[in-house]
Amino acid sequence: MRSSSLRNLALVGVNLLGLLAFLWPFVLPGVAGPTGIGHEADAPWIIAALLGILGLLLFVELGRGGMGPKAVALVGVLGAAMVALRLPGFVAGFSPMFVIVLVAGSAFGPGFGFVQGAVGTFASGLFIGGLGPWLPFQMVAIGWVGMGAGLLPRTRSRGGRIWILAAYGAAVAFAFGAVINLWFWPYRAGSSALGWAPELGVQANLARYGTFYLVTSAWWDAYGAVGNAVLVSVLGRPLLGALDRAARRMSFTTPCPVDSPPERFARAITGHRGLALRARVGRVAAARWRRRVEESPDSTGQDAGEIPGGATRGKCNREQTARGSGVG
Amino acid sequence: MSTTNPFYLLPLFAAAWFVHSARRIEGPGARSFKVFVLFGALTVGTRTALVLLGPVNRGSVLAAMLEGLRVAVMLAVFGTFSSVTDSWRILRLTPRRFHEPALAAALALSIAPRTIVAAARVREAQRMRGIEPRRWRALPALAVPVLATGMEEAGTLAESMDARGHGRGRRSSYRTEPWGPAAWATATTAALAAAVFLLVARALGGGLTPSTFPFVWPEASPWLVLAALSFSLPGALRPETRP
Amino acid sequence: MSHAVVFDGVSFTYPGAPDPALSEVSFGLEEGSFVLVTGPTGAGKSTLIRAMNGLVPHFSGGSLTGSVTVAGRRTLDLPPRKLADIVGFVPQDPGAAFVVDRVEDELAYGMENLGVPAATMRRRAEEVMDLLAIESLRNRSVRALSGGERQRVAIAAALTTAPRLLLLDEPTSQLDPQGAEDVLAALQRLVHDLGLTVVVAEHRLERVAGFVDLALGCSPGGKVVLGSPAETLGRVGTGPPVTRLGRMLGWSPAPLTVREARRMVAGTNLGAPVAGDSRGDASDAPGEGPAAQVEGHLSSPASRRSHRQSPPQPPTPPGPRLRPAAAPAVPEGSPSQARVPLVRAQSLVAAHGDREVLSGLDVGLCPGEIVALVGRNGSGKTTLLRCLSGLHPPARGTVETAAGGRPAPGLDVALCPQDPDMMLFCETVREEIEATLAAKGLRGGAGALAGPLGLRDLLESHPRDLSAGERLLVAAAAVVASGAPVLLLDEPTRGLDVESKGRLGAFLRSLAATGHGVMFASHDVELVAEVATRVLMLAGGELLADGHPAEVMADSPVFSPQMARVFGAPWMTPEQVAMAVRGR
Repeated sequence: MRSSSLRNLALVGVNLLGLLAFLWPFVLPGVAGPTGIGHEADAPWIIAALLGILGLLLFVELGRGGMGPKAVALVGVLGAAMVALRLPGFVAGFSPMFVIVLVAGSAFGPGFGFVQGAVGTFASGLFIGGLGPWLPFQMVAIGWVGMGAGLLPRTRSRGGRIWILAAYGAAVAFAFGAVINLWFWPYRAGSSALGWAPELGVQANLARYGTFYLVTSAWWDAYGAVGNAVLVSVLGRPLLGALDRAARRMSFTTPCPVDSPPERFARAITGHRGLALRARVGRVAAARWRRRVEESPDSTGQDAGEIPGGATRGKCNREQTARGSGVG
Repeated sequence: MSTTNPFYLLPLFAAAWFVHSARRIEGPGARSFKVFVLFGALTVGTRTALVLLGPVNRGSVLAAMLEGLRVAVMLAVFGTFSSVTDSWRILRLTPRRFHEPALAAALALSIAPRTIVAAARVREAQRMRGIEPRRWRALPALAVPVLATGMEEAGTLAESMDARGHGRGRRSSYRTEPWGPAAWATATTAALAAAVFLLVARALGGGLTPSTFPFVWPEASPWLVLAALSFSLPGALRPETRP
Repeated sequence: MSHAVVFDGVSFTYPGAPDPALSEVSFGLEEGSFVLVTGPTGAGKSTLIRAMNGLVPHFSGGSLTGSVTVAGRRTLDLPPRKLADIVGFVPQDPGAAFVVDRVEDELAYGMENLGVPAATMRRRAEEVMDLLAIESLRNRSVRALSGGERQRVAIAAALTTAPRLLLLDEPTSQLDPQGAEDVLAALQRLVHDLGLTVVVAEHRLERVAGFVDLALGCSPGGKVVLGSPAETLGRVGTGPPVTRLGRMLGWSPAPLTVREARRMVAGTNLGAPVAGDSRGDASDAPGEGPAAQVEGHLSSPASRRSHRQSPPQPPTPPGPRLRPAAAPAVPEGSPSQARVPLVRAQSLVAAHGDREVLSGLDVGLCPGEIVALVGRNGSGKTTLLRCLSGLHPPARGTVETAAGGRPAPGLDVALCPQDPDMMLFCETVREEIEATLAAKGLRGGAGALAGPLGLRDLLESHPRDLSAGERLLVAAAAVVASGAPVLLLDEPTRGLDVESKGRLGAFLRSLAATGHGVMFASHDVELVAEVATRVLMLAGGELLADGHPAEVMADSPVFSPQMARVFGAPWMTPEQVAMAVRGR
């Protein structure tokens, strides 16, 4: 399916480019060192590229063949909630809008979590933070927060999930601070002892960055950690409940077709994690095989729902054991 | 909109209010304008209050207030936008390529006013049971129905759009949107004003964000004030009537 | 003739639900039929309808077996938008489903998606607006319309795409009786003239039973049967009042409409039914006076009060007669004079913005009363309820409680709103009720409120998983839990089947018996007939009538219940008539 490979490409591309954007000064120290040009000069290129690929991702996800109308509607609602929660400002590093990204990622999965984080940050940035060079970095970083929330292990009880989410929220506040600081650390710290010294090698620089972070941002982000944990614990249950219910409606199951030999083989080699890969590998062969089966007189003719051109995928009952809902 | 100079912000606010009163369309957009303004006021309030938690000096308090004011004006502008435009008519004007994301945007834009109206009704309904929405413990009682209803409504909307054939491909247009002299006038003045802002701001260099620490009375270039006020032009124009 | 809809071995379970909503359902509907879908609240009517255009399962999740085929296309393989050219859908809550802002644009939306040429679009829009009488609304914003107007616009929007199959989920729930009549007649015309297949899910069976050719009956557990209206209603055990009366009296076949009932009455010697329009009749003062006889008087309906004291003595035909003692008593005078009203409005004038909605009303509600507010859409019923609850400040005049002073919402007066979803925020029904109790400092007791409303089995369910009618009952329970002496309900019958309505009625009566005052606004004439002790009729913000239901409603051409149309005043419910007949 062309559009789904485009989606995956865009998602992977965003992640790669995001990593690159944060890390590239370290990779090419000669071009931009502490005495060299500041981020502001090279920023336009990075930003343009990042924005471009982010835009492409959102364009594909929100369009036909992407997340689907229900998911788009949900992104809209939750994005509006994020804007509303960012309005009152923040106490040091704590911004209430994080709770939305955390809960959304947990309920809908990593792909949705990323898109939600990015879109919500963009929308609220229009109102609050202003449009500045930092925006795409923020979008990617908060997208990663959402993506991480979607990758957390799932326990059976909601209470357990809330607990894990709260802990993650606390940890991610620090992680977020650490990552965002990367945006300017190579330049601002300048020639001080805590600054970046490309000649010292990775380990020493990491130590310097660690100290830099502890000294400057740790307490700031501590507010965020505490705030996230508290808010998730208080509001998490009802919010997660509401979002879970929405998630359940997004894909349906039908009885599985007779398993074709190619599918069985593919699943055997790639296992439960590689379901998407199996689907792609096995689909063409399976379709051909199935057609043969269907044309035989005693077939049931039941399709597992790969809906052509539609954004909803009916999932075979067996696929329900795979993580996440149909939106990724 | 990166200015925090009150001399520019206040005229912008006045312009927004004027356009809203003159040209609002009936519906949730109009009703929610007041709420947007209220939100803006609340924002100013809470930001100032939060700053008071830290080291207090005139500079930081003023900075917080001005930042809050900027947000409030943005909200007012957004409120005016919601109350004056019918996002669906704009949707008709977008080129086909961009239809889907534009739709997502239109949906998102219409959510805020609807949510605000819903929030008022939720508050009332909870009052009727005796659940007083003022105490913080009642926050779930207020927030959850609003969010859950918002999500359900968004879901219902998505459903209904799909059931009526949204995204089938071939589209036609019921009517062409009129784009006449009034529309041109609005567009040109807005573009002009924005250009003025950019150029003059660059020339003046710094008047857009007056420093609050040390405290200095902000200066105001009359050109920029005029540009801000010019945004109220749409309020005075008569729109073309639809065919 | 080909089939418009075919269900083949369809079973469907909602995500996380313990029982299936549909179970091994198989039937075929021919093109050009007018089909009713009926059954108890929560039995799966909405699910069945939504399975016909693919919303189940594409937008509902869950698991589906079997296949649903619409005009040869399988819903499993195609998302709803691929069916949009042949299927039109009117949801239960049209307000939430409107896409654009202006009414005219809303009508055009479906056609635009299908790529209909502009000239054709204009023509169809005009035709449909004429058909549903909404021409005057074309430039209004859909969000500003009243409930009834919204339903009409939703139906119109579904018709503009010229579908072959039209699905409607409770399309008359917010319409007053006349409006409901108009819409059903228009639909019937479409079926007869254009060969449209129409499937309607409805609870208000009084009118629709006579219009439809076939009926699908849904039972709890997911079974669905297709048959003639009479068979299906019999099998599901429900029906309009004339049908219920027929069953109680052992008439076979049980009548479906007032007309059929009249003919049967004439045939069974019950005394000739009231002929034509003359419903004015003699009725007793309580416990005294000569027999009230159900006779064929051709006398014109004289003023109600003047007939009360001097019932005429017509020649008595042979055969069983409805006995005097069984005639419902029409109490003299106004019952509210003797007691102090719990809440009272005097010279009440209320406005929305500049528009005056209520003009000078004097209304009081006393303990033990159940007062019904009837009137056309837009006559001010909701506004009156909101004023009495203290939510809406009067522009002029006063609203006071017995203790004097404005009523405190939630304390003196509790109001169950028209849209219960706005209130529900807990994970289970039990918690929902207990939330209100907790706000008053009480604990437990949810069961006591849930039982009478039939919610005991649903106490641990999530409110948003329930059907519309069940959610309404949950909201009612949650509101009553506040313990306020006055209970107001705005349109509490949406989505409720006959049995649930009966339970609600019994519940209201028990509240009245314990000294509460109850007032509800409703279009459902039958519930009013069954439960109300007093009826207020509003029109244009003014009070047209205030009195006993038999007085106010029995000879109104629009608001009279079926029993009154067959037998005349003061017969209002089938139970009354059946008791009278059996008691001979």
